[in-house]
Amino acid sequence: MAHAVEPEYTTTGLNHRKLLMWVFLGSDCLFFGALIATYMVYRGQSLTGPYPIDIIDVPVTTISTFVLLMSSFAMVQALAATHADNKRGIVGWLVATAVLGAIFIGFQVVEFNTFKNEGLTLGGNLFGATFFTLTGFHGAHVTLGIIWLVAMAILANKGRVGPNSALDIELLGLYWHFVDIVWIVIFTLLYLIAGFDAGPAAMPGG
Amino acid sequence: MAHEIEHTTNHPSFKQYVLIAIILFAITIVEFLLIWDRAVIVDYLGPSKIPLLVGLSAVKFAIVIMYYMHLKFDHRLFGTVFIAGLVLAFLVGIALIGLFVGFGGGQRTYAKDRAIPYTEHEEHEAAKTATPATSKTETPAATGPLAISIGAVGETLTFDTDSITADSGSEVTITFNNPSANNQHNLVIVQEGTKDAVAADGTASGPANNWVQPGDARVIANTILLDPGASGEVTFTAPASGTYQFVCTFPGHNFTMFGNFIVN
Repeated sequence: MAHAVEPEYTTTGLNHRKLLMWVFLGSDCLFFGALIATYMVYRGQSLTGPYPIDIIDVPVTTISTFVLLMSSFAMVQALAATHADNKRGIVGWLVATAVLGAIFIGFQVVEFNTFKNEGLTLGGNLFGATFFTLTGFHGAHVTLGIIWLVAMAILANKGRVGPNSALDIELLGLYWHFVDIVWIVIFTLLYLIAGFDAGPAAMPGG
Repeated sequence: MAHEIEHTTNHPSFKQYVLIAIILFAITIVEFLLIWDRAVIVDYLGPSKIPLLVGLSAVKFAIVIMYYMHLKFDHRLFGTVFIAGLVLAFLVGIALIGLFVGFGGGQRTYAKDRAIPYTEHEEHEAAKTATPATSKTETPAATGPLAISIGAVGETLTFDTDSITADSGSEVTITFNNPSANNQHNLVIVQEGTKDAVAADGTASGPANNWVQPGDARVIANTILLDPGASGEVTFTAPASGTYQFVCTFPGHNFTMFGNFIVN
């Protein structure tokens, strides 16, 4: 199906905004790559607790990972509804995506709060510093995505989102799925692999 | 119209998206079962679970970018700029991990052991400090502050030098580096022949006093007790000419970890 989009001429034949979004996502890979590498560098280097094995709750985070994966499914449905010019579908799937994202953030808020109560802080040890910096920046990305989703849902509800603006929804979707794949990496490394780390092998002294 | 915007219309259908979601869920469940202690699989896997988990995540990652983000159906340039960023991120990660974890984490000592003195720089620094000294000080015999760097050698309970020298009356700053991964150390300057007696009294005083008896008259100066990997400084005025000793008073270390401090 051909979309009635006003013609735009570019040297590559590709839409500038979409290319820009991919370039941004490529650069965001570097941002998260550096934070993940820093976590791995300092993995197991904390001299004081709490250590990952004391507080990381893999089953609970597996549930929040499901929620985020499900939100990615809702996001592709929102794009499909946009192509089909189905207003109710657009609003419904965008709101569903935002709600699932908010549930994920809710899990993270509870998790951070539990960790804080159990003594893990940003300045307490290397595990806390690297864990909160990495997962906090990811949470900030998700929060930004939720605001974007809600804004687009409001516009869609006013009837201002349809096949002509499918690119707007597609760019939002690219961002949202990127946040999802970053979480796939974080979940595997910080929870499934490093979530059972205990303290340093050799304690300091004598 | 080669330059008109291309539009991707062959996105997966609803059914295909559901199938993709189910595959992603299934992989996550498998990942969870691989590490869940009650599923027992983890006991059989051991360390081989790590490449398995990384592989499964890579599959999930690829499915999301290929189908949800349509890279499989889109123009190659979109994928290229993204993959370029991803590859660079990997290289940054490998570089960071290599820089900080290589050499067993002892980069500073590794580099210091192999350092080639940059004489031109040192001459320049010497010239800079010499000029004000001659113009401002009336007695050319006076000696400026002396900086000495000394380290412990790995886990061997020895210092990296057995003798340091200073001029009487000069201000001496000793920087002591403890590169050990396990041992705490200190550096105590004591009267000649008193190192073992000072260490014995220090042992009685405990780690809270840095293993040094407070007010010990035989002690000329001491650093605090340094944790593994830490370094500390002590500044003092070199005493009257003669031979003194420097020693680590951590219990037991004083028998191998000492040297002579010679004051001219």
